[in-house]
Amino acid sequence: MNRNIRWSVLLAATAALVAGCGSPGAPVDPAPIESVQRPMPPNAAEESDVDGGGSTNDGCNPAASLGPSGNIPSGSTMDEIRQRGHLIVGVDQNTFLFGFRNPTTGKLEGFDIDIAKQVAKELLGDPEAVQFKAISSAQRIPTLTEGQVDIVVRTFSITCERLEDINFSTVYYVAGQRVLVNKDSDVEGVGDLGGKRVCASKTSTSLPNVVQAAPEAKPISVDDWSDCLVMLQQGQVDAVSTDDTILAGMAEQDPTTKIVGDRFTDELYGIGIPKENTDMVRYVNHVLDKVRGGPWQDSYRTWLLDRLGSASPPRPEYQ
Amino acid sequence: MTSTVTGRGPSVPPSGRRSEPRPTRSGVGWLLELPANAVRSVARSAKATPGRLSLIATGLIVLALVTGLVGTASVLNRDNTINALIDHREPLAAAAQEVYGSLSDADATAASAFLSTGTEPPELRERYELDIARAGAALAKAASDSGTVPEAAEQVAILSQRMPVYTGLIETARANNRQGFPSGAAYLREASELMRSQLLPAAHRLYEIDAQRLVDEQDTASGVPWLTAVLVFGLLAALIAAQIHLKRRTNRVFNIGLLVASIAVGLSILWGAGALTVQSVLVSSGRSTGTEQADLLVRARIAALQARADETLTLVARGGGESYDKEFGELFGQFAGEDGQGGLLGEARRGAEGGPETTHIASAANHATTWLRAHAEVRRLDNTGNYAEAVGLAIDGTNEKGAAAAFGRVDGDLVSAIGVARQSFLDETTNGSRALTLLAPGFAVLAAIAALGTTLGFRERLREYR
Repeated sequence: MNRNIRWSVLLAATAALVAGCGSPGAPVDPAPIESVQRPMPPNAAEESDVDGGGSTNDGCNPAASLGPSGNIPSGSTMDEIRQRGHLIVGVDQNTFLFGFRNPTTGKLEGFDIDIAKQVAKELLGDPEAVQFKAISSAQRIPTLTEGQVDIVVRTFSITCERLEDINFSTVYYVAGQRVLVNKDSDVEGVGDLGGKRVCASKTSTSLPNVVQAAPEAKPISVDDWSDCLVMLQQGQVDAVSTDDTILAGMAEQDPTTKIVGDRFTDELYGIGIPKENTDMVRYVNHVLDKVRGGPWQDSYRTWLLDRLGSASPPRPEYQ
Repeated sequence: MTSTVTGRGPSVPPSGRRSEPRPTRSGVGWLLELPANAVRSVARSAKATPGRLSLIATGLIVLALVTGLVGTASVLNRDNTINALIDHREPLAAAAQEVYGSLSDADATAASAFLSTGTEPPELRERYELDIARAGAALAKAASDSGTVPEAAEQVAILSQRMPVYTGLIETARANNRQGFPSGAAYLREASELMRSQLLPAAHRLYEIDAQRLVDEQDTASGVPWLTAVLVFGLLAALIAAQIHLKRRTNRVFNIGLLVASIAVGLSILWGAGALTVQSVLVSSGRSTGTEQADLLVRARIAALQARADETLTLVARGGGESYDKEFGELFGQFAGEDGQGGLLGEARRGAEGGPETTHIASAANHATTWLRAHAEVRRLDNTGNYAEAVGLAIDGTNEKGAAAAFGRVDGDLVSAIGVARQSFLDETTNGSRALTLLAPGFAVLAAIAALGTTLGFRERLREYR
């Protein structure tokens, strides 16, 4: 009997050992998560084919606009706006320094907004008689061709390609494209952007400019410029490349970024006006002539002087 | 004596040893032959009257006991299902609804807070915080039993992973907003995009799943228990057949035992059918006046919340918000129709049929009309260049004719109406559960009486053969 018990104990022990020899398996991971998808600004997309050819229209001088005229004949575009009582202007509400909503007052402010108000002041006698319509870069030309707005003042570069669809005023500001990166980045100019993810807004001139200057760059397009800053802060892009004016506004909002490289383009900002409203083009040029004599400098001092150094209004050119 | 014992002593062990293997061997054989032997013996005894009678008796007793067991279990099970409806399933559907509603409201509130100028209004901040806290608490509740439904678990995973991301973006937006940076607006847009493209669809799906599970369980709780029904009617038929058989054999009209058994079974049929009918009707009524009504109201409320978010986002987009405005029109149409009287709200009003929630629904419809009028005014102001006034009318809660106040009342009325519908579900279903009081033990006792009656009835007959 004793021997039996001993045997059975031995047997049981061996069985237990054999069973125990098999791996007990890894501890259960209660919530396996491999990676986390970062949130993205709405409509952010990778651009695969951006035409980097740029505008090469021969014989086109984008800076030359129609001659100024302050006359407002009855039945003219200006007359219609006067009867309506307010000017409808397509602007940006997300680009710091040029066109942005001041969260403290809820009002739109910036250099472009000041220009728009000057047009309203001249035309309607009241700088506040403006209905602002916030539009994205991509909406600038459609809102004009569809007649939803009277003018567009929104860091709008005059190009020969765009002149086929709409009209522009004379140049009221000359910006140039540069690159914004994080302070610890080793990018020193547009030439270093090869293989990097670079953000620019949809249908802006900045996007083809980047591709032209750095064909290996991976362009990412967004609706608004501030979305580019968001993506840079979230680590989803390595750089933002656009006009120094817009970049200055971004650097102002985030001291851990820096603007690098030289200007590699000239961006001629003009006021966009529907193609058929040539009377309005002449009238706006008339207003801009007045603006260059004082209000321009006031606004520049308020928004840009500290960030971009001293400058004077560009000389108008006429056809 | 002792000598004889000791004398026999030695002879015992060998016989014991010899007999030891035999039982095991014949035991196995006996086991193998058991079914055949049983069939043979049953067939043999069935040929003789006493054998046949005891066979019928055994069958009836077993049938009575099985019926008792199955019936009692089925009633207990149904009672459990109803209690689970009240304690578990309905609160879970409500929790999923809460997640969906709170998140929609958080989206609308964050947009309103953005539109307000200067320091963020404390009431909007509190409302947002309350929304997020509610959504989080409700999600934990809703998650507690999503494990068995993979699709629900998937939605819970999306919600629990993305909700902290959403709140993080909102706080980043606030921080930038307070510094006067437009990137705050960009973060808010990103947060809203996350909410609308991932969180709300997941919350919607989770609510649909939980609402469907509630309806399915209500179906289970008000269905006919077919197995029990077949067994109990079969038992009654068998008892009657047995009585007819005995009457033919013995020419005695009454067998007291079997009579008692039949009466017990008849009683259990009457009681069971009555109680289950009452219970089913009450559970179904809890479904139509409670759950379905609550579902309509929940869907109406969510459409209203999202329309409100669209109303504010149209203003946030400042002229670029045609798509939001269009969506407002669609959602408001879903919510209350073109005039504030139709849509899901109108459907809920028809469904209420003068029930206790009618006043809340009627009040919500009136305020919806006010809201629609205010919204039209907001759009008119915005479209004619009076943006600041449009924003004031849209978000100023103190303006009685404003959109914010009207929407606040609509939402309050809907929440009250949902509460009433849920109460109606609870009342009806609890009463349904009460209809089953004592049915389970009663059924067991009646089945036992049936088995006992059968035993006694047949024992009397079998005695006559001894």
